[in-house]
Amino acid sequence: MTQRIGFITDSTCDLPPEFIDKYGITVVPAFINYNNNSYADDGVELVREKYYNDLPHLRPHPTTSAMSTGLAEEYIMRAAQDVDHLFVLTVPATLSGIYNAMRLALQRLPEDRYTLIDSGNLTFGLGWQLVIAWEIAQETGGDIDAIRKALKKIRVHTHVYCALETLEYLRRSGRVGWTAANIGALLQIKPMIHVYESEVKNDGRVRTFRRALDELAERVRKHAPLEKLAILHANNPSGARTLAEMIKDLMPPDTLTSIFITPAIGTNIGPGGVGAALVEKAWRNEPDHAIGT
Amino acid sequence: MVATKTYYSRDNLVVDGNRLKRLLGSGVLWLEKNKEKVNRLNVFPVPDGDTGTNMYLTMRHAFQRVTEITENHVGQVAVALAEGALMGSRGNSGVILSQIWAGVAEALKNEETLTADGLAEACKLANEKAYKAVQNPVEGTILTVTRHMTQTVIDHHAQMYDLVALLKKMVFAGRSALRRTPDLLPRLKEAGVVDSGGQGLVLIFEGMLFPLVGKEIAEEVVSPNEEDSWEEALEPDDELGYGYDVQFLMRGSEMNIEQVREDINNMGWSTLVVGGSELIKVHVHVHNPGEPLNYAIQLGASLDDIVVENMQAQYHQYVENRKNREEHDADTTTFEDVSTSSIAVIAVGSGRGIARVFREGFDVGAAYVILGGQTMNPSTGDFLDAINKVNADKIILLPNNKNILLAAQSAASQMDEKQVRVVPSATIPQGISAMLEYANLLTTGEPTIDEVAQAMTEALDYVVTLEVTQAVRDTVTNGLSIREGQWIGLIDDNLVTASHRMLDLIRDLFRLAGADGRERATIYYGEGVTEREAKAVVEDIRAEYDGLQYEVIAGNQPLYPYLIALE
Repeated sequence: MTQRIGFITDSTCDLPPEFIDKYGITVVPAFINYNNNSYADDGVELVREKYYNDLPHLRPHPTTSAMSTGLAEEYIMRAAQDVDHLFVLTVPATLSGIYNAMRLALQRLPEDRYTLIDSGNLTFGLGWQLVIAWEIAQETGGDIDAIRKALKKIRVHTHVYCALETLEYLRRSGRVGWTAANIGALLQIKPMIHVYESEVKNDGRVRTFRRALDELAERVRKHAPLEKLAILHANNPSGARTLAEMIKDLMPPDTLTSIFITPAIGTNIGPGGVGAALVEKAWRNEPDHAIGT
Repeated sequence: MVATKTYYSRDNLVVDGNRLKRLLGSGVLWLEKNKEKVNRLNVFPVPDGDTGTNMYLTMRHAFQRVTEITENHVGQVAVALAEGALMGSRGNSGVILSQIWAGVAEALKNEETLTADGLAEACKLANEKAYKAVQNPVEGTILTVTRHMTQTVIDHHAQMYDLVALLKKMVFAGRSALRRTPDLLPRLKEAGVVDSGGQGLVLIFEGMLFPLVGKEIAEEVVSPNEEDSWEEALEPDDELGYGYDVQFLMRGSEMNIEQVREDINNMGWSTLVVGGSELIKVHVHVHNPGEPLNYAIQLGASLDDIVVENMQAQYHQYVENRKNREEHDADTTTFEDVSTSSIAVIAVGSGRGIARVFREGFDVGAAYVILGGQTMNPSTGDFLDAINKVNADKIILLPNNKNILLAAQSAASQMDEKQVRVVPSATIPQGISAMLEYANLLTTGEPTIDEVAQAMTEALDYVVTLEVTQAVRDTVTNGLSIREGQWIGLIDDNLVTASHRMLDLIRDLFRLAGADGRERATIYYGEGVTEREAKAVVEDIRAEYDGLQYEVIAGNQPLYPYLIALE
């Protein structure tokens, strides 16, 4: 029997509007709080370029927060009307309250109507998981079990790398423990981070942007062959272009070469960063027993 | 601070919808005034400093709904509050808060007015919902505070019809539970703070209490923009201090436990009175420990297991210990800090600032800096001495000068007990460039010493070194005719230019080194150069090379007014 499958995620997935339309994915916005106001991270309330340009000057510093349970509930109930089963994929619970907001909101639905998954990643590390899950839903006529199995395998083959202009925003976000112990600003550095399996790891420091791009290209190369690749930037399109040029030979046909990181994430990493989100082809060789199914 | 005076009147027995609205408004206002303070307490679950903001935004949205209610009906106010909070909740604390109001609304939705019994039922459901709001409830958080406030109301509502008195008890219980949150959650104890979400909740109810005891929030002094230190955050809310923790057993016959409980309750806070007619266990926090003890004696009871702890003194002790520890921590970072990391670096450099960069400029710094350089070359013996001192059996040497390379290599070959590698850094900037790779490898994995040495050696090429010094005699070299006293400029140790004018010389060095194609210039100014002079030089250079990022660091190195790293 063919099952109608729906997908819900949060705005940190960075899926552009044309993807959201094409795949019929429901995106619930996270929120950005500053100037005593709360703005939805929905691509409408905040203009990206302007927000990133303003970000260094805003005082007190903006903070981000999960959507309310009530808002999540509205989106979920609406989406549930048209489908038999909902897949809800979110940014890691270790980094955000979004997973918990979704969990509470889903309590209105019977348990067999949904699958809630902590994607362990963010921006297109989450986005690509949705895209592949959607593709599998199409191929299998909505085989819930097949989608769940695939997502478990994809998760451990999904990596996001990013070179940031400064560690300051990440430290201030308080979401990443190791940033707290960082040595004072004797020398300016650009931190490299690696997001994998719900963890934001320290991936070293560099002094120049050129080195950052070299290091990023080298890291992406280690994961080839790639099934999916997106080049990311936080208001640094020329950086994204340069990186894309450096790893042209690794690109799968549907590579996205310039994804503008959403303000909800940008608030926590600051402007200027460049990165890559990828899924290794190797996930398809993963045997079922390896994921404990 | 909440006034201790209560206005007893019939009004205090019942609160109607309009009054509840005003009280809520006061609660939101008090939270708003204190939200920065709450933000600074925030260390759990993630120290992102936004609990106050999130709780305030949640409450503001909730209160907005409340103001839309026109009927004088407590149930409608509570339902609007819950709906508004559900839609407006922000962050973990906001979600929990919205569940608290959901419980309150469920209990009161059909009630026209609020009574002590109604408050008890509301607290009970609120507490249940709060605990279900998170997957894994953690004690020492807003949940603990909610539970204690609830328990107090449930314990007392039957005897206390006076809502004002009951609300006061509730707020006291909340504060007392809040003070104990560091004992339940180690993360709070380490940070020396109480739980931020719990603080937010207490503030809301404190604010609600203000109008009932005849206080105006506008009169209350709040300093939202000052950075509270941990000492300030720990200071007791009560001007009389934290008081005493008193515990004892009462032995007697035909004692009336209900009466004892009520009487003890009126003496202090955090009361626990359990037992029967012959044996009663009393636990209470008071400012005067004599009061409950006297009371028990006067009842004719014999007392046993008396424990009186001075909580104010415990608090002072904690503050003192913590201060000592922090001072001690500040003292133990010494110049010859012996490394505990698996692979240690010994670097050569001169100048306080340069040594500091090697030691403190990285997540893992150099374990030892040997003083030396161009005119003061350390010997093989100096290296061996340092190698022996450093508490690591894998050591990397950074000579940072061509003339010192041989001594380093000779020391490395003579050392059998420890593995020693030499990274052939020829300049200070090269050594610093190598240090960054060293720190990267040690903080992101468990590399072998050869992997580290190789990565550090590769990093020598990431930087071009410009040096400025003074000619000590007339000479002709590299086709340049140089006079004694002239400034001379070197690029990667090769003398390339000379001038009587410092600025011209530096400009020349930038041009010859192809600074156009570089991203970053780090200027280490030496002994005899002031920061202002160095910055003026940088401004002049920047006018010509504005595509670079500039850093100015006091190197205090002798003989070289300027050392410049181009990356």
